Formats: sequence, C-alpha cells, structure tokens
Amino acid sequence: MKKKLWILIALVLSIGTILTACSGNEDSSTTEKGDGNGKPYEIKWYTIGTPQKDTDKVFEEVNKYLKEKINATVDMTQIDWGDWAQKSQVMINSGEQFDIIFTNGTDYVQNAQKGAFLAIDELLEEEGKELKQAINPALLEGIKVDGKTYGIPANKEAARQSVYTFNKRLVDKYNFDISNVKTLEDLEPMLKVIKENEPSITPIATFDAFLRYDYVFNAEMPFAFPFEGDTDHVINPFETDEAMQTLKTMHSYYKAGYLKEDAATSKDSWPMDVENWFVRMGGFQPYADLLWSRSAKYEVVSVPAEQPTTVNDSVSGSIQAISVTSKNPEKTMEFLNLLNTDPYLRNLVDKGIEGVHYKKNENGTIEDLPARIESYNMPSYSLGNHFILDLYKDDPEDKWEKFQEFNDSAVKAPSLGFNFNSDPVRSELASITNISKEFYPALATGSVDPEEYLPKFNKKLKEAGLDKVLEEIQKQFDEWKSSQK
Amino acid sequence: MAKLERNESPVVISSSLGEMKGGGTKVVRKKHRDPQHMHPVVNAIISVLLGILAFTCIFPFIYVIIISFTSEESIVRNGFQLIPKEWSLDAYHYLWSMKEQLFRSYGVTIFITIVGTIISVLMITFYAYAISRPQFKYRKFFTFLAFFTMLFSGGLVPTYIVVTQFLGLKDTIWALILPLTMNAFYIIIMRTFFLKSVSESILESARIDGASEWRIFFQIIFPLSLPGIATIALFSTLGYWNDWFTALLYIDDPNLVPLQSLLMKIEANLEFMRQNLDVAIMQQSLFDTIPEESAKMAMVVIATLPIAISYPFFQKYFISGLTIGGVKE
Repeated sequence: MKKKLWILIALVLSIGTILTACSGNEDSSTTEKGDGNGKPYEIKWYTIGTPQKDTDKVFEEVNKYLKEKINATVDMTQIDWGDWAQKSQVMINSGEQFDIIFTNGTDYVQNAQKGAFLAIDELLEEEGKELKQAINPALLEGIKVDGKTYGIPANKEAARQSVYTFNKRLVDKYNFDISNVKTLEDLEPMLKVIKENEPSITPIATFDAFLRYDYVFNAEMPFAFPFEGDTDHVINPFETDEAMQTLKTMHSYYKAGYLKEDAATSKDSWPMDVENWFVRMGGFQPYADLLWSRSAKYEVVSVPAEQPTTVNDSVSGSIQAISVTSKNPEKTMEFLNLLNTDPYLRNLVDKGIEGVHYKKNENGTIEDLPARIESYNMPSYSLGNHFILDLYKDDPEDKWEKFQEFNDSAVKAPSLGFNFNSDPVRSELASITNISKEFYPALATGSVDPEEYLPKFNKKLKEAGLDKVLEEIQKQFDEWKSSQK
Repeated sequence: MAKLERNESPVVISSSLGEMKGGGTKVVRKKHRDPQHMHPVVNAIISVLLGILAFTCIFPFIYVIIISFTSEESIVRNGFQLIPKEWSLDAYHYLWSMKEQLFRSYGVTIFITIVGTIISVLMITFYAYAISRPQFKYRKFFTFLAFFTMLFSGGLVPTYIVVTQFLGLKDTIWALILPLTMNAFYIIIMRTFFLKSVSESILESARIDGASEWRIFFQIIFPLSLPGIATIALFSTLGYWNDWFTALLYIDDPNLVPLQSLLMKIEANLEFMRQNLDVAIMQQSLFDTIPEESAKMAMVVIATLPIAISYPFFQKYFISGLTIGGVKE
C-alpha cells in the first residue's frame, strides 16, 4: 500500500510539473508589450452588466480610434449583474491574466489588501496626469487603501444623501406640506390621512428606519462613528437613545398598519412603476426626481433626510482597477486616462455609434435610437467619468454643474478613507453578523417592539464579543488617524 | 414510480367497488386481475396515500404554470394566487420577444446534453469495465484513484485554473461538457454493476470464439448492462440539462449560454437589483429589460417541460437499473 501511495504521489507531481512547464512556456512566448511601433497591445477589460449584441461593432470603432491614439486595442467583456460577484472573485483568485476590472465597495478594499490590484499612484503621475486632474480629489482620496490608490473611481456624485420620496399625486390631492419633513416622526399626520382615505395604497413602501451614522460596514452592523459630537470614537448605534426613539416611532407605524405586515421578511422591491405606495426612501443625486418620475411614469418628489455626506460607500461605488496580472500597466493606464478625459471615446463606449445607436440634435444634446435600447444598453455608472457625457434632450442643461455643486456641498464622514481590516476579529464578526441578520430586519421595519427587543439585541451582541470588535476598530482607526497627519 | 401506481389506482378502486356490489362469480375473476393480491381496503388506502403524495409533488409545478399565466399587475397587488384575478399571456409574449436568445440557449443545452451524455457514458463505462475485470493488473490502483476524488476534490479555484489556463477551454462549448464527463460515484456504481451482472464465463466463451476486447465490450457487455447504463445516462442527462454553474464560471459569450444558466442569470439579476436599489433606480432603463415574476415562471415551464417529458422513456430502465444489482445474486 505504501509503495503504491508513493507511486501515486510521484505521478501527480510529475503531471503537475509537466503542465506548469507547458503553460509557462506559452506564457513567455506571448508576452508582447506592443510598445512603440510594434503590434498594438490588447487590453483585456472586464466590466459589469448584461452582455450586449453590438459590443463588437462599437469596439471596432473604439479600436480604430485607440490604435491611432495610443497603439492599443481593447477587448471588453461584460459579466452579467448577478454573476458578477462570484465570477470576478474566481477570476481574481485564479490569477487569470487581464488588465482592467470593475470593482466596488468592500470587494475593492479586500482585493486591494490581498494584492490583486496594482497600486497606481506612480502611473497616475505619468500616464494618468490628465485623468488625475479631471477627477474629484475627494473621490481619489476616499478610495485609498493603506495610503495607496488601487483604482480609478468613476467621476460622478461623490456623496450620499438619503431622501424621503413622495408620490406627488397624493401630496397634491391632500395638500400636504412636505417641505417641513425632516425626521421620521414628521411623517405621522400624512400617513394617517393616507391610511384612512386610500385603501389601495400602502402608506410606507417598506424601508429601514433611518439612523444617520457613519457606518463601518453597513447599517445592519452595530459599528459606526457619530457625525456630531465625539466623531473620533466608534460606538454601537443601537445603544443610543436616538435609535430607541426612531425604532419606537417605526414600531408605532407598523402597529398602525402603515407598513405591510410581512415587511421584515418580504423581498418585495416596490417597483416604481406600480403606484401602490405613498412614501419611500432612496439615495439621491441631483435631478433624481426627474429620473424616478420618468421610470415611474407619474410624478414623485423628494425631501432630504440628511445633508449630502461623503462616506466610504459613496466614493467606492464604481472603480476601475488595474490587475496585477496586467502585462502592460502603462498602456492600460494610458487607455483609462483617455477614457476618462476624451469626450469622443467616453461617449462612444457609453452610448454607441452616432447615427446607429443615438442621434445628435443641433444644440448638441442627444437622443437614443431604438438600436441603443435593444443592442447597446450600457450602464453609465460603471464605465467612467460622467462629466464628459453628452446630455440627453430632456436632461436639464446644468446637470453636471448641479452634480459639482452637490459634491462640493457634501460634508466628509469621520472615517472617510479608513478601511477596517477585519482579520483579527473574524470569528466575533461572524457571530455578530448572524445576530444582526436575526434582529435588524424586524427592528428596522418596526415589526417588533424595541422596548423589549432592542435590549435583547444589544445583550446578545455583547455576548458575541461586540466590545472586542469595537476596541479593534478603535485601535486601527487611531493608527490610521495619526498616520494622516 | 408514483406515476405508475397512480395510473393503476382508478382501476383497482373500481374493481374493489364492483366486488362489494356484485359479489358471486365476479369476485373470482376480479381477484385474478389484482396482481398484488392485496385486500381491497388496504389497496384503497395505499392508493389514496400515494395519490396525495403524487399530488404534492405535482402541485408546485401546476402553481408555477398558473403564475406564468397571471398578469404582472395582479402579482404585485395581490401576490401569488391559485386563481388569479387577471389572466394574461404577457409572460409568453415576453419570452417570444427574446426568442433568438431562447432558441440559441435551447440549442446549446440540447447539444451539450446529447454530446455530453454520450461522452460521459462511454468514458464512465470504459473506466468502470476496466476496473471490474480481474485480469487488469492495476485495477486496485485505478479504483483507488477514482475513489480518492470522491473524498477530496481540488476545490473551485484550482479547477478553474485547470480548465481555463491548462486546457484553455474558457468560452468554448467544451467547457460546458468536459468538466462534467467523469463522475467517480457513477464509476463505482457501474463497476459494481459489471461485477454482478456479467459473469466471467460469458466473457471466456466469447474469447474462445475469438472476439476482440472491443467486440466483447460493445456486443456482449453493453447489451447485458443496458439497465445500469441507462441509469447513469439518465443521471448525466439530468446533470447536463440542469447545470448552470459551469456556464457561470467559464462562459462569457451570450451565444454559448445554456438554458438553465439563462434562467439563473435572470434570477441573480433580480437579486442584485434588490440588494443594490441605488444602482437599480439610477439605471432604470437597463433593468426594465429584466423580466418580471410571471415571465420567470414561464421560463421555468419552458425549461422543465422537455426533461419532464423525456423522463417516462427512461423510466422503464431506471427502475430495473436501480433494483437489479441488489437482487440478482
């Protein structure tokens, strides 16, 4: 038996070496950098979204332009929304060769820490000079991981602003004054009227009670920095009086029947185009009401629940990173530079070919042709700089100026740029996540009485090691803070 | 199995009723017909129980069919209903509007199912036959090799590396076929089957008559083991038909996406929308193209029907294939 085992091991090892040897050879023979006058370098670009029929057609144009400009071509592959998370992770983990990959949020931070992305600070000084100037500095600052930049954020809204959005028809019908709405409590009188007079409308399209904190992970997890007062210390927001107050209000709404009974468990996404709601919460950007009204086909109107705030989540919503497996990072950076600064290229990639996918009006605004919706419907947000995109016919003229104003008016969150490394407290976090998943949906939708369940929740969190995690976050935060100065 | 019993049951019940009413000479004749020689009351109870069981199996699928004919408006307002307020064919209209992709995916699925099953059955039976023959010197080693993979697998990332980088199969139809061809469990089943159902003396007589190994395998072993082979063929047909994960990993090209993977994509996209409402609302025009609840159900109907229809054809072998191995000795 022993002898056979040895034979087996020897066999496996030898096969392994033969295969790696083969692939190694292949690798070195295909390394063509495409510099200077040589063959154009092909940039492999993976991005999110449903693959489109006309991608090849559009990228033929793109490549014609790029060959002239920087002697490179681009091979863009889209991976469908739902497949993205798993597929991109396997691709990164297996060390597949590609140049640019779309990433966002915690995925970006984790992969950057793991070393999957190239630190591009030096490239930004050389090949990406113009790019660096074009992008909002708050974005570039916000996405730094351990002091280094690992990707290029799409230049768009850099801040978050939660708003209460109302169904305008009902607001007008009952003459509500919504300009005074600031907190959850202010909604009460209106909800009451709707509940009594509009039987086919659910007053609240299920949302989680809004607690304004700078969350380390997300609103579900009990770690956050306050925006006011002592902003340098991490706390458990569920222990504050404010949380108790807000959740109590939510619970009274739930009891009054303003929310659907299955609010805590339902996966209903409340599509805008079904008019069965009165108020909902959403993330705002300038002229969002216009967008929403367009997709709902009836009017909606929003009032802010907070002032615009720049948080880690809002700056890392869309990032293009250069992979460490890229064979020619310089060329790749040249391309990204062009994509984010050259209006022709940016619009070509985003909207398609003029005359085929869209048409240009005399005043420079554009209109989609049917071909764009059918066969080149691309997600603008993942492709790069928004400020050089052509405006649509029904877009407000000052759209990008308003975006700029919005970004400028935003306050910075205390932990902007701080990325928590959760390795030291992994097991505690795992059990805290489970507890949060159990309690949070029920509490945030008001389905259970916070007087009873909030203390229970906090007690369980404590038992699961909440204090240890808070301490660790504080420690890392202090280190980060002192390194900033 | 449930289906067979259910088909029989009406006959049995009526016969037992006849027995109670008529009596006399009729009884003898009827009793002769009852193959299980069961007491009519016991028979009735068992039939009812199996009937209920069969119904609970079929009910969800009937429900899916009903939802696929419900109007979207009615689903959003009233939820799923057994008898919806509003019927509509919108879901099927929607599917017709994406017929190009649908037919393409159908083609891919049928192709990988047929080709995959053939390759898979051949490779598994070859391997299993070899390690079932005592003349084969290294059979213990190769049995162990197959068995070993049942206990330890390489894991996702190494598998991905082998398929995409060593074999270079990414974005080819073979990426959907080859990773699923060998299955250690089926090999062990087939090995046992060959050991028990094919006696050495038959092979010996064939050899004495001068048959080559190939001829022995295809003209003697193959027909003798048909029930077992049909069983693993059915398993791998189902495996290929229902497989979506390999497509998720290895396929980027929309022209190579099989049907189940298309379905999973739609489901996953909806889930993505729910979790990323901000993105979804800002990119509304993109997500307008994602089908609604009823269309999803219509896709389930379309994706399931062919395999459900093909099932009875295999059933004959399936039952004997599963039982024969144990009883024969």
